[in-house]
Amino acid sequence: MVTTEAILEVLRTIDDPEMPISIVDLGLIEDVAIDDGNITISVLPTFVGCPALPMIADDITSKVDALAGVGKTKVLFVYDPPWSVDRISGEGRASLKSHGVTVPAPGAVELRTSAIPCPFCGSDRTTLDSMFGPTRCRMIYYCNGCRNTFEHMKKV
Amino acid sequence: MTQLAENLKAPLVELLLSVADDKLMLGHRNSDWTGLGPILEEDIAFSSLAQDEIAHAQILYELASEFDGRSTDVLAFGRDPTEFRCAEIVELPDDFDWAFALCRQFFCDHYDALRLGRMARSSYAPLAAIAARLAAEEQVHVDHADAWITRLGTGTEDSRTRIQAALDRLAPVAPMLHEPFEGYDELESAGIYPRPETDMFEAWSAALHAVTDAAGLTLTLTAPPASDTGGRRGRHSEHLAPLLDEMCEVFRLEPTAAW
Repeated sequence: MVTTEAILEVLRTIDDPEMPISIVDLGLIEDVAIDDGNITISVLPTFVGCPALPMIADDITSKVDALAGVGKTKVLFVYDPPWSVDRISGEGRASLKSHGVTVPAPGAVELRTSAIPCPFCGSDRTTLDSMFGPTRCRMIYYCNGCRNTFEHMKKV
Repeated sequence: MTQLAENLKAPLVELLLSVADDKLMLGHRNSDWTGLGPILEEDIAFSSLAQDEIAHAQILYELASEFDGRSTDVLAFGRDPTEFRCAEIVELPDDFDWAFALCRQFFCDHYDALRLGRMARSSYAPLAAIAARLAAEEQVHVDHADAWITRLGTGTEDSRTRIQAALDRLAPVAPMLHEPFEGYDELESAGIYPRPETDMFEAWSAALHAVTDAAGLTLTLTAPPASDTGGRRGRHSEHLAPLLDEMCEVFRLEPTAAW
């Protein structure tokens, strides 16, 4: 009989296709329901228009289906509660930061003018370069201290 | 509440199509800027805006589909022009004038933020949940538009002249975004599209003026008379049919094909 913990362990090995973070650390997994060996996993999309969603669903079904005792795996994208950056784990934040992606602190109120410390040198002398970045969930900042660009996750 | 009274289903579809049709047309128009944005950041921005608007439209069509019965693809690509509920402002071609495209986004983003905020307070739980998600994303669009209106209004003589010309061109058309759809009053009194905290037109006008006034731009907005009928009632400009011909060309080749 497969357990929720065994499924979560598998989900922790699945990285977001566009960032160095597991989908569990990213806070995407809302619920794992087991019904007679059939699994339903409720996933919260970060942004509605995220093109990585079908890839994430495919990764989940193929890896969970491979577990012993699993019948059929279904992925449901749900919007209640809405995903928020506050759901990203401490471990996930550290991993993203080491790759040059910063995340708003939990509960933080951020304005367009808020200073975002540079993940490389820690300088506060950073400026927003573009509100849109390589993915729907990230913006681009420029650090006037070390002259690197870095990415910051949108406060939603 | 997760069950909807029978007489409120048609009005809810009208609301959903009003929002989704606006967003689908905006998304289609914005996708023209991919590869042609004036600077790299805005090339990415308008491509991202297009992606967002079309994704927002899709999820709203999915909800409408539960009551309308037609699939999301048919709702998006398989309707006659008179069945669309979009406002004239999203139908207009921008003729590759980026100031025009930006100003259109400015008017529409602020209106969408207000609409989605109302929908997020809906007594109909499935609508409230989706709208809350979309409202958070819409705020990024609003911030983007505000930042650029400010930057161009306070920039050079050339940038100020161009953005003012675009505002002047769109200000007479934009207020029809507020045209009520069929069944608006029933949906409002039932709390499905709850009464706004302040008058929608005034709130919209105040939000736009806060930006244009600070940027030294002039903006004159007049609430349309209640007797005016337009896109929300299926009366469209001459620009919608050609837009649909282009957007739906592939779909019409084989309407039952799986995508």
